[in-house]
Amino acid sequence: MSADATPPEEPATEGTGDAARAGDDPRSATYYHLARAVLYREFLIFVRYPANAIGGIVVSLFFFGALFLGGQLLAGQALTDSIEGIVVGYFLWTLSVGAYSSVSNDIGSEVQWGTLERHITTPFGFAPVALLKGVAKVVRTFITSAVILAAMLLITGTRLSLAPVTVVAVAGLSIVSVLGLGFAAGGVTVLYKRIGNWLNLLQFGFVALISAPVFDLPWTRVLPLAHGSAMLQRAMVDGVRLWEFPLADLALLVAVALGYLFGGYLVFQYATARARRLGVLGDY
Amino acid sequence: MARSATSARGGPRERDETDAARGEESPADRSGPPALAIDGLTKRFGEGDDAVTAVDDVSLTVERGSVVGLLGPNGAGKTTLIKCALGIVIPDAGSVRVFGTDVRDGRRTAYADVDAMLEGARNDYWRLTVRENLRYFATISGVDPDSVAARHDRLLDRLDLADKADTPVRDLSRGMKQKVSLASVLAGGAELVFLDEPTLGLDVESARTLRAELRRLAVEEGLTIVVSSHDMTTIEAVCDRVVMLSNGRIVADDGVEALLDAADRDAVRVASPDLDAETVAGLRESFEILDVDREARPPAVTVAAGGDRFYDVADALRAAGVTVSDVRTVQPDLEEVFLERTGTASDASLGGESP
Repeated sequence: MSADATPPEEPATEGTGDAARAGDDPRSATYYHLARAVLYREFLIFVRYPANAIGGIVVSLFFFGALFLGGQLLAGQALTDSIEGIVVGYFLWTLSVGAYSSVSNDIGSEVQWGTLERHITTPFGFAPVALLKGVAKVVRTFITSAVILAAMLLITGTRLSLAPVTVVAVAGLSIVSVLGLGFAAGGVTVLYKRIGNWLNLLQFGFVALISAPVFDLPWTRVLPLAHGSAMLQRAMVDGVRLWEFPLADLALLVAVALGYLFGGYLVFQYATARARRLGVLGDY
Repeated sequence: MARSATSARGGPRERDETDAARGEESPADRSGPPALAIDGLTKRFGEGDDAVTAVDDVSLTVERGSVVGLLGPNGAGKTTLIKCALGIVIPDAGSVRVFGTDVRDGRRTAYADVDAMLEGARNDYWRLTVRENLRYFATISGVDPDSVAARHDRLLDRLDLADKADTPVRDLSRGMKQKVSLASVLAGGAELVFLDEPTLGLDVESARTLRAELRRLAVEEGLTIVVSSHDMTTIEAVCDRVVMLSNGRIVADDGVEALLDAADRDAVRVASPDLDAETVAGLRESFEILDVDREARPPAVTVAAGGDRFYDVADALRAAGVTVSDVRTVQPDLEEVFLERTGTASDASLGGESP
């Protein structure tokens, strides 16, 4: 409630003087309240509708099982030698797909439900809400991918270095760049509703990024995921800890993450601004 | 078009539920800058020959505490006007001020007191419960939800949703979902509320309840409401003032009563078994016959007879030897006013929701 709606000499509880309003003492919501509301909503949906998460885990494991068993039949020893790298790569891929599709699909849904506009016409705007949702999606994806990782280790009998701080920091920063791509894809969906489904195909391109030849082609390190993937391999396969990485590697990891997140967010902002000019925002 | 007395002004529509609430607005609500001030608003879509001017140089002021209806057929520009006022659509020209703050100047102040329920959208999260939705939307509107818990209880009570407070919205009926949408719009304490086709798709009973609730909320909570609808019943039942739009322009802007009074269409409907074709033809020579209902028992004619013309009609009937079984006044409704102002039929007359 703004100051001009409630005269200063009159306490907010009295509002328009209606007795029914007694008991109200509206206080402004801060970013803390906003964060709590957005994260609580994500939490509620996650625990109330576990079928989505479980379905994702089952599908991911099915694909991995097919990959592993099929690979053993075709490549035999060669696959067994590189199985650690495959497990790490697959783990990062499930994380990336989870973060990307949850953000882009989420924006698509909000457009369809008419809730995106309601965020735009609020004092906070959609920006902080979108970032908080991104955080929630990353946390959620880590939970499901951890289950997938554990199952993969059991199926293959592989051992990996699982230092939590190192793994979460490196993998987390790696997928922040993908989160940026998710925002960009969400923005494109706001403008061109039907393209959204096609953009989901991008997630198969993540395989190429995760296995990018960063040693032979150093410039690929600035692509999303590539540099982070190489670092995650070293951390999980060779047991390199976070503080043992060269500072330049860590700096590049952070720069790529923030660069794509910011870039993706700009695309999203541009797309919604254009949608507002064209009058197609929420015009589903 | 003939209207039976029951559907005429003052007849037993749901107006009787709402009229009592009307007119109780306190003058204190009308101080300060207007709730909404739109000036020279223009919005075009498309380019070149295909360009459509959805809103054409519209200026409009809505005082605090008033309930204004935007009436017009689909494509008249109602939704675009609302979306421009909200900042969801950026206008090509003109300005929008909400409680004195220009919408373009910055969201924080302009948006704190405004919310909207837009047509055809869910507007809330179906997987959350009713109360969770209220808390969520209060927060994003800039209000700490714990500080308005009592208000939320009251809203739920008033909208008959208290029993369903902890039910996920997806499990509710369509009418209830619509009410949750309204409640979520009011949850953050918005003082200016836009409702785009609030009764669209509701059954007769749900629409009636929602209209009555809207009127009550407007008065009791001191809200300023802008309702867009192509349904005359909603507008007549809920609004103090009507802005009629046609092709993006305002064609009428006045109080409901004033618009109805200005429509010079007062008529009487006379029923009598003596009204055969010959008698009606005789009446037609001296009077404007608006409608002949031969199927009615007894048959009836509706004759334009404002003011003293009624006596002439009575004399003519006596002269023709007609024994009158029933006579009623037929007053115009907003639909006829709209027809008169625009020369086009509204959607309601083309099979829209009926009262």
